[in-house]
Amino acid sequence: MIHFKNVTKIYDNITALRNISFSIEKGEYVFVTGPSGAGKSTLLKLIYLAEKPDEGIISIAGYSTDTLKDRAIPYLRRNIGVVFQDFKLLENKNVYDNIAIALRIRGVGEREIRERVHEALKLVNLRHKADSLPSALSGGEQQRVTIARAIVGEPTVLLADEPTGNLDADNAAGIMKIFREINARGTTILFATHNRDLYKNTGCRVIKLDSGNIVYDDLE
Amino acid sequence: MFYSAKVALKSLWFYRWINLLSVLTIATGLFIYGVVLFSLYNLERATQRVPEKFTITVFLKNRTTEKQIQRLVDSLSRERIISRVKYISKEQALEELKDSLADAAYVLEGLDENPLFPSLEIKLNEDAFDKKETELFIKRLKGLEIVEDVFYGEDIFSTIKSLYQNFRVVALTLIVLFSVAVVFVCYSTVKILFFRRKEEIEIYKLLGATKGFIRGPFIFEGTFIGILGGLLASGALYTIFSVLKGFGNPEIPLMRTLELNPIIMVIVPVSGMVLGFIGSIIALGRLKY
Ligand SMILES: Nc1ncnc2c1ncn2[C@@H]1O[C@H](COP(=O)(O)OP(=O)(O)OP(=O)(O)O)[C@@H](O)[C@H]1O
Ligand SMILES: [Mg+2]
Repeated sequence: MIHFKNVTKIYDNITALRNISFSIEKGEYVFVTGPSGAGKSTLLKLIYLAEKPDEGIISIAGYSTDTLKDRAIPYLRRNIGVVFQDFKLLENKNVYDNIAIALRIRGVGEREIRERVHEALKLVNLRHKADSLPSALSGGEQQRVTIARAIVGEPTVLLADEPTGNLDADNAAGIMKIFREINARGTTILFATHNRDLYKNTGCRVIKLDSGNIVYDDLE
Repeated sequence: MFYSAKVALKSLWFYRWINLLSVLTIATGLFIYGVVLFSLYNLERATQRVPEKFTITVFLKNRTTEKQIQRLVDSLSRERIISRVKYISKEQALEELKDSLADAAYVLEGLDENPLFPSLEIKLNEDAFDKKETELFIKRLKGLEIVEDVFYGEDIFSTIKSLYQNFRVVALTLIVLFSVAVVFVCYSTVKILFFRRKEEIEIYKLLGATKGFIRGPFIFEGTFIGILGGLLASGALYTIFSVLKGFGNPEIPLMRTLELNPIIMVIVPVSGMVLGFIGSIIALGRLKY
């Protein structure tokens, strides 16, 4: 599903990832962990092609970064749902439209959009906030909108960058449950967090980064 | 496509003041564009209508015999570019002169001898009219032995001709200039709108939007602004033309002959559309994913 082969990413003069190699199979649930600045977000950005590797090859769902045509990028991204660390919500659009846009981009009809958005809202427990603007939501609620948007398109891969960072323990547990459900449906998940509590005792695979190197890659 | 239109219309309304300003600017530009086309069209028509009123008067030498005249009239009648030849004798010419002088005819009373020349009045064939051919024909007439002089509207003829030719150059320059101006206004409008929504667009890209999806609304918007400006310009052109025609003195022949071709009324908004489209495309440039 996802293969990194000797991937290096350098920002200006900071090496965010150094000669990284790993593979993730379809349906896996993998936690990416490590201290702040370790390169977790960078790793995810490389997967959804927000950044390009400086060295090495990344292949995702059959696409490879060394042969990928620019015009294939949108179609590849539609296979990847992303829960951004900084949410990236549209401030002037309500919750409903923020989620619906992911489907409008795909050319889905408004009727189907309505059904699927409501389903996604139900999943993250935000049906009552459909008409609110993001600015009127708490951090945790905004985070859940972002999750709903990431999954509404039913991607084959879900990338989550600190998706529980702004949630209290109860809400976080709720989100973790949602992610397990999504994974149970066959969606591959990469979950970046520095919170060990989220993956301990899950038996999931953990990739630990430190200063751009993989220092651990095994089951928890 | 439908979605692009919807987003574009929303944005047009949301940024209505910026857009109104652009539409007015474009309308002004396209109005001048229209005036240029209008002038060009009417001047072109004027050059084409010259032969209608175009009469060549051939003054014959006094000693010319009836036979020579008859021969000339016969040969002229066979010319393709001539529709009618009329012979006016010395005497007829004097009568006409007396008639036209009417009460003042006494000025001619002291004359012992008729000072006028016999002449031929040649009307040109409108359908077969050709400037070059006409000029050659006049040259040939002047070369004839029995011809004293040839008088024709050469001044008007060449004035209109060169006016038209010069104006065509000026008109073309103006049209190009104003086209560029309209493209530029659309360009900057779309650019502003694009930058205002830059963050939104970045998010769309990350969610998997194609370039078409992102560009669509902006191109629609720019094109729409162009059409709107064009329609406004056409409307203004028509209104001003009608008002001038209504108020104008119908005795002034210029006013009567001027015509606002409906095609110009269509060309202007269509140009607006095309220029708006071009402006938007340039403004969006190469998008990167
Ligand atoms: N756009 C950028 N330009 C320059 N440097 C960057 C950029 N993005 C990240 N970096 C640097 O790359 C390194 C890795 O950053 P990254 O965001 O991947 O860390 P992270 O593991 O996600 O940290 P956090 O837990 O704080 O989110 C950091 O040193 C960071 O300063
Ligand atoms: Mg991060």
